[in-house]
Amino acid sequence: MPIFLYIERATFIHRLHPTVKVFALFVMFWSVYWVDHPLALLPLGLVMLALAEFTGAWPNFYRLRWLFILVILSTTLAWMVFYRKGPALINLPLIHLSRASLVFGLGRGLKLAELLATSVLFLSTTKVEEFTAGLARLGVPYRVGFAITLAFRLVPLFIDSALTVVQAQNLRGYDFNRGGPLERVKRYVPVLIPVFMGALRKANSMAMALEARGFGMSRQPTSFIDYPVEASDIAATAALLALGAVYFTIYYTGYGAISPK
Amino acid sequence: MSDRSPAPGAAGVSPRDVSVADAHAVALEAVSFTYTDGERPALSRVRFEVAAGEMVGVMGASGAGKSTLAKCLNRIVPEFEGGAFAGVVRIGGRSLDGARVCEVAPRVGMVFQDFEAQLFSTNVAHEVAFAMEQVGMEREEMVRRIRPALEAVGLAGFEHRDPTSLSGGEKQRLAIASVLALRPAVIVLDEPTTDLDPEGKAEVFALIRALREQGLSLIVIEHEAEVLRSADRLVLLREGEIIAEGAPHDLMTRIELLEECGVHPPDLNRVLAKSGIAAHAANVDEAEALIRRALPQLGASIHSSHLSRAAAGTSPQDAAAADGAHPLVEVRALKFNYPDGPPVLDSIDLRIASGEFVAIIGQNGSGKTTLAKHLVGLLRPTAGAVMLNGRDRATMRPAETAAEVGYVFQNPDHQIFAATVEDEVAFGPRNFNLAPGEIQRRCDEVLRAVGLQDARALDPFLLSKGERQRLAVASVLALRPRLLILDEPTTGLDYREQRRMMALVTELNRDEIAIVMITHTPWLVAEYARRVVLIRGGRKLYDGGVREFLASDELLASSSFRAPEATELSRRFGTVALGPDELAAWLAGQR
Repeated sequence: MPIFLYIERATFIHRLHPTVKVFALFVMFWSVYWVDHPLALLPLGLVMLALAEFTGAWPNFYRLRWLFILVILSTTLAWMVFYRKGPALINLPLIHLSRASLVFGLGRGLKLAELLATSVLFLSTTKVEEFTAGLARLGVPYRVGFAITLAFRLVPLFIDSALTVVQAQNLRGYDFNRGGPLERVKRYVPVLIPVFMGALRKANSMAMALEARGFGMSRQPTSFIDYPVEASDIAATAALLALGAVYFTIYYTGYGAISPK
Repeated sequence: MSDRSPAPGAAGVSPRDVSVADAHAVALEAVSFTYTDGERPALSRVRFEVAAGEMVGVMGASGAGKSTLAKCLNRIVPEFEGGAFAGVVRIGGRSLDGARVCEVAPRVGMVFQDFEAQLFSTNVAHEVAFAMEQVGMEREEMVRRIRPALEAVGLAGFEHRDPTSLSGGEKQRLAIASVLALRPAVIVLDEPTTDLDPEGKAEVFALIRALREQGLSLIVIEHEAEVLRSADRLVLLREGEIIAEGAPHDLMTRIELLEECGVHPPDLNRVLAKSGIAAHAANVDEAEALIRRALPQLGASIHSSHLSRAAAGTSPQDAAAADGAHPLVEVRALKFNYPDGPPVLDSIDLRIASGEFVAIIGQNGSGKTTLAKHLVGLLRPTAGAVMLNGRDRATMRPAETAAEVGYVFQNPDHQIFAATVEDEVAFGPRNFNLAPGEIQRRCDEVLRAVGLQDARALDPFLLSKGERQRLAVASVLALRPRLLILDEPTTGLDYREQRRMMALVTELNRDEIAIVMITHTPWLVAEYARRVVLIRGGRKLYDGGVREFLASDELLASSSFRAPEATELSRRFGTVALGPDELAAWLAGQR
């Protein structure tokens, strides 16, 4: 399993300045945050699909297709249980299926899916090093940025280790799904201890290897990757500012809400 | 060569000592270190020097102090590892006293055993640049240095590759490149090939030899003496003290001393010593010449690429077992691929009978572990079936599978969690709701079998790696499987622990437990297995006797597997010996 989502392509999105990419992540989140109505979210979704096509990020979206479907469906259905406004179209047990609940649920589902899509797009087009560099330009200390890099690096390793531990304990006849909720949590101890101990050992090895490679010598290390600001960065920043402004306006005028102000 | 006790009273360093130390790339003067929780010193008044351009091999058992010695050279000890430190470490004549680990990086490059834990970047060029960024080097200089560093390790053209997509050997070479980029005068390699397959191992040692030619000072830590033949000097550590040092041709002939110190003596030296030839051979050619001189009655040298079946010998016992009417395991036309992925296994047929000892070999990523995981039901075939004792495994409950097949993972720490050794062993039987009396009986039985009966009340995390590996075997054995799968059972163990582990496995096999061992280690296959299954690119390329396999150059080449040197040597005399003892016995018969 590839550890990173990054897909090397020569698109102008890939070449954008890391700070612009981090800013794009922020603007996309900002825009999604302000609106609730599916119709208001739809253009953003279409922009993301177009970007996925343009940047060659489809393989990642395909890999995560079930997650997207799950997020949209489960959120929509969950809100149909709690959002009980408007006349029911069909009488169903538990679920209140009305036009209003459908719109609201779908809006929430799309919102989450778009937040996820933004992240996938970002990680598909941004190397972890660029992420760190982008954060550094925005004033985040190098060590904090590097910790984020390391987290990306470690998570898949820990997942891999946890899966092996689960397999090892399963083969010794251990059933993780026995008992009530509390009992089930307790039953994960035979996984948590080996994973935790393994993580500590791995973290220790990594820390040693890092220091042995000079980590910590300079508070603001130099950067191998050169990030000149180009015209495309300025254009992209302008477009992002416009997008952010448009979506804030949509929110402010009430057009992005489920029921207009 | 010199045997020696620790350097007498050199705690203080006089100006005269400094001038002597200046001549050395590395100098340790009366260095002692005791870990915070250590019962005895990990290093005890060690005096150790490496001249500029010298390659020194450091050998010793687990816990002898090899890694501690290495860590002293870049201040990981005592800066990073807590404990009591005494003595002086000098690099290029300058004391490291008070330096931080990162400050030593430009002078001493360190390559660790775990290559996964020392790669941090998303592409190869960034990885090489990482250390240079940390020391604040200008970008132009980094660009200038990356290419030569990658060329030095044979990875030029890999600049844009994701390090995670590289093979184990390539990853370790990348780690070396990233260290080389800082152009240190000294490079320390701490068991750099432990986790590599034979091909990766050969790659890394070829690189080490090339670096030596370039005049770097190299310190290589190993517990297999054979790979250190090209060193200028060897140092043998035991319980934190240097007990012997000398040129390879001196130290490698001292078989008993090496074994006593948990070091695997070279096959060639063992054959020569057992044949009463008091000499050192630096390679198979030299060993052959020495033996022919001592035994002129031996026939002409044989360089046939494939020995006759008669010379190779067959394994009638295995053939009968494999053809038995009721195999313990039967794999039929097994195919496997991950969703949307290419085939990992293709058209695999395999029969394993009770009491067999099978080695599954193949390069990293060839599908060995995937195959083994099918036998125990951790993976479901995409097509085909796995039958256990005549029943389709897919229809069996976990308890039924566990009674047939046990699986010991490569890393024992992936399963150990209990507070005591006994609880760890009892975990499996308890899961299957066995009666307390029966659980106790099984614990007693398997702890005795693995030699941990006196450790039953101990915390498993306090055991050595070798003991933890034996505990992992015990806890799987407690379910009384008829087939035991061992995934790289000797990784990370020293020679003594490896022998002990394999003695245990052999003993189990004698009790009719079938063994399937996944391994990269040639001498384990030669000396212990009786049948080899070679997997390449997801397909079974060979399934048969060990001798026949080791007699065939084509098979060896296609598997990137190297026959142990004793076997290679034996073939020069027209026979196929499976180990130094067997070859020595054969030679004795020729006298």
